[in-house]
Amino acid sequence: MSGKFTIGSEPVMGLPTPSKKRDYRVTNRLQEGKRPLYAVVFNFIDSRHFNVFATVGGNRVTVYQCLEGGVIAVLQSYVDEDKDESFYTVTWACSIDGMPFVVAGGLNGILRVIDAGSEKIHKSFVGHGDSINEIRTQPLKPSLVVSASKDESVRIWNVHTGICILIFSGAGGHRNEVLSVDFHPSDIYRIASCGMDNTVKIWSMKEFWTYVEKSFTWTDLPSKFPTKYVQFPVFTASIHSNYVDCNRWLGDFILSKSVDNEIVLWEPKVKDQSPGEGSVDILQKYPVPDCDIWFIKFSCDFHYNAAAIGNREGKIFVWELQSSPPVLIARLTHAQSKSPIRQTAMSFDGSTILSCCEDGTIWRWDAVATS
Amino acid sequence: MCRQDSRVRLSAEEEMEAEESLSIYCKPVELYNILQRRAIRNPSFLQRCLRYKIQAKHKRRIQMTISLSATVNEVLKSQNLSPICIFLARLVSNVEYLAVYRFSRGCVLDSSAGVEGSTQIQAHFILPEINKLAPEAKSGSLAILLVSWVGVEIPLGTNLSKGSLDPNLLPSAGGGYCFWGKIPLESLYMSWENSPNFSLGQRAEIMTTVNMNSCFSKLSCLNEDKCISVQLPCNPETVTTLQQVQVTISAEEMGAKEKSPYNSYICSDIPSSSLSHIIRLRAGNVIFNYRYYNNKLQRTEVTEDFSCPFCLVKCASFKGLRCHLSSSHDLFNFEFWVTEEYQAVNVSVKTDTWRSEAVADGVDPKQQTFSFCSKPLRRRRPKNLVQNAKHVHPLVLESELPSGVCELQDKADDAHSSKGDKAYFSGVSSATPQSYADPDCVQSISGSNLAPSTMLAFAKTRKLSIERSDPRNCALLRKRQFFHSHRAQPMALEQVLSERDSEDEVDDDVADFEDRRMLDDFVDVTKDEKLMMHMWNSFVRKQRVLADGHIPWACEAFSRLHGPDLVHNSALIKCWRLFMIKLWNHGLLDARTMNNCNVFLEQCQSQDLCPKS
Repeated sequence: MSGKFTIGSEPVMGLPTPSKKRDYRVTNRLQEGKRPLYAVVFNFIDSRHFNVFATVGGNRVTVYQCLEGGVIAVLQSYVDEDKDESFYTVTWACSIDGMPFVVAGGLNGILRVIDAGSEKIHKSFVGHGDSINEIRTQPLKPSLVVSASKDESVRIWNVHTGICILIFSGAGGHRNEVLSVDFHPSDIYRIASCGMDNTVKIWSMKEFWTYVEKSFTWTDLPSKFPTKYVQFPVFTASIHSNYVDCNRWLGDFILSKSVDNEIVLWEPKVKDQSPGEGSVDILQKYPVPDCDIWFIKFSCDFHYNAAAIGNREGKIFVWELQSSPPVLIARLTHAQSKSPIRQTAMSFDGSTILSCCEDGTIWRWDAVATS
Repeated sequence: MCRQDSRVRLSAEEEMEAEESLSIYCKPVELYNILQRRAIRNPSFLQRCLRYKIQAKHKRRIQMTISLSATVNEVLKSQNLSPICIFLARLVSNVEYLAVYRFSRGCVLDSSAGVEGSTQIQAHFILPEINKLAPEAKSGSLAILLVSWVGVEIPLGTNLSKGSLDPNLLPSAGGGYCFWGKIPLESLYMSWENSPNFSLGQRAEIMTTVNMNSCFSKLSCLNEDKCISVQLPCNPETVTTLQQVQVTISAEEMGAKEKSPYNSYICSDIPSSSLSHIIRLRAGNVIFNYRYYNNKLQRTEVTEDFSCPFCLVKCASFKGLRCHLSSSHDLFNFEFWVTEEYQAVNVSVKTDTWRSEAVADGVDPKQQTFSFCSKPLRRRRPKNLVQNAKHVHPLVLESELPSGVCELQDKADDAHSSKGDKAYFSGVSSATPQSYADPDCVQSISGSNLAPSTMLAFAKTRKLSIERSDPRNCALLRKRQFFHSHRAQPMALEQVLSERDSEDEVDDDVADFEDRRMLDDFVDVTKDEKLMMHMWNSFVRKQRVLADGHIPWACEAFSRLHGPDLVHNSALIKCWRLFMIKLWNHGLLDARTMNNCNVFLEQCQSQDLCPKS
């Protein structure tokens, strides 16, 4: 898919010189234990808690709040009784009545839905055959979460009723670990997943949407729910030549990255009538130097104006998303930040950037006014 | 051969009952008779193994013993010569003065190898039986070589037959002066043939003198090839004769002895008073005591040659018989005991009904529960035909019934007719087949996934076996958490214990979806044809139409089920008719059924045109 482009269709490469439109400065640094922190996520589901974020590392899930002046307050901490559990991902969801949920998953393959309001575990989802690499929430229906697992499947769960609704795997599914998954922002039926088989697959749950709705009103035992499985994606794209460890929708486009030091923005042109056929149009590339180990994820602010990504040297690159050619907003470095940054989190308006690192530290960068 | 133990007095009916319970021992014999008939040309593997062993024991061979006087070696030693080595060798090449002999066994004749106090030292060789030996011997290539090396010390117990000889033993590059003598086998053979003792199976002894001449010889043992090459001196005059060695060769036929079991008391003296007990003294005789009628009565049988009374296989030894009985005849319990006088086995029936092969009268063994355990740790509930009732199995029975019964009747002619056998036939013929196209059946099956409304006759008898197995399996099912096979969701206990087969939970919706999706991939097929294919696939999957014999029923059922829909779409009904023609072409659909389908469709069409209120 990559390689030959017709004239006029070459992807636009971004320049790695920062434009300094916005500058950031370190305002805080936390050491949360010795184990690597694999995920940090702001709560975009509930507008009351836009400055609350969660991190996971080892068998612990911690909830913090970003306060004025660079202060980070620890709110809650949950520890899994299995010492060998290692959480890899976390997301915020909520129940039908608006209670915030923290959903974490990792090595054991069990999704833990923690009711952050009452500080108790709400449900545990069993079903994945191996560790969970990413969990994402459907912003349009925050009771639905999608999980990507090492068992090569993607599952959709209803956190409110505890039901596994759909399984995306099979003959047309991923052939290796699924590393990342994301819901489409407006098309409620569409999800994109990517993994170690170097592909990005786009799935549709339109066919079984009735079951998704049924899951909200199911009163019987969750295990009796007729979980359906979708074996064939709508589209499979082979853009990368190595593990694809993060993908996000940018409208109808997809941002995905592999371990070749760049994020790619591309458009999937899917033929609805004939699934499986379709083409890819690579639009832009955002270079990120020294980003060649897998399991480094990027994040965007609420409105998808910017994306922040760390690299294995502990540096953060902030790219402006909705401009062409791509503009590097800022390059954040700190002398003491040398450890690989597994994930970044941008606050609602992009004024705060958090990074969680391999050495268990959380760095907080705040935007400063530039001239 | 059976002697009755008449300690208990029985009434007439009790006698009948007793006979009946004894007949349990007869059933396996009937089975084995049938198998034996078949095995005449094609013996079963295990029996072949035992047979080989027995055959080998009975193979006739000649044992040849060569002996020299013990003083010979001392004389040799005094002259700095090694003890005599004897080889049974075959002449490989004789070029000029160099003769090469190949041998496989060689013996070092050493005084210490002999029995204490005996004046003779011996070497033993085994030769094939006399008739087989004839051509070889007459060809003149076989000979017995006696070699004694100069200046070589051969230590005690050297084995000249094993692989590579120690090079330090003999002069390097394997050559040295020696004295050798040769006895050609031809002459031995002639004398044996003519010996009256030998042909009677007795020992034949020959005494000869062998000249030991000097020569140069080389012994080489490479891998399997053991050769001794002898170089005769060019000048016969220079041959020095060491001495003349007196050799006694005795030969005896082996193996033939055990041919007749009566031979055992030809040699031994048995007083006539104990002749009546001779029958028990024979080595291969085993007494079998059968316990029957609730172990009250006993009947005795004696078999010869360690044969099994049921399958008549010869077991070569009491131990072999013990192993055979325990492994091959699982129906019975065996007690083995050996005394000075005799060897006996007590046989009693195993009462565990679970594994009973013998069926009572009137019960069709095909309708019984059959337990099968593929892996010992995983527990499976016995196969329940109640679930299968939703498939139209009677259809299958009926088509196979005529041939099935014929087969069984053929076997009846083979086996002894006894009451037990009748049970088989009556069972089969009593299973009443159900009629083909049962409209109610179709509707109820297509609608539901769970237990059907129509229960077949034999399904009811199955329920008993389920109740029987319930406590055992229930406990096991409660022990741990079970998960659905496709979704990996935990299974509720009630689902685990329910009657539903949850082996491969094919989800119809998903299968339908995927079927449609895969059919969509075809580009050279019209929309109606795709729909037709989808409808048929869906129907076949839900109704579990698996065999060729199911097709006629399936076509009629499909026509009835989808008839009203088919008539609305002329293209679709054309597709269906075309498909039926294709099936008929392949011989899967008969003309009558096709006619029925079309008649029904016509009716639907006419109804459609002028609907009745």
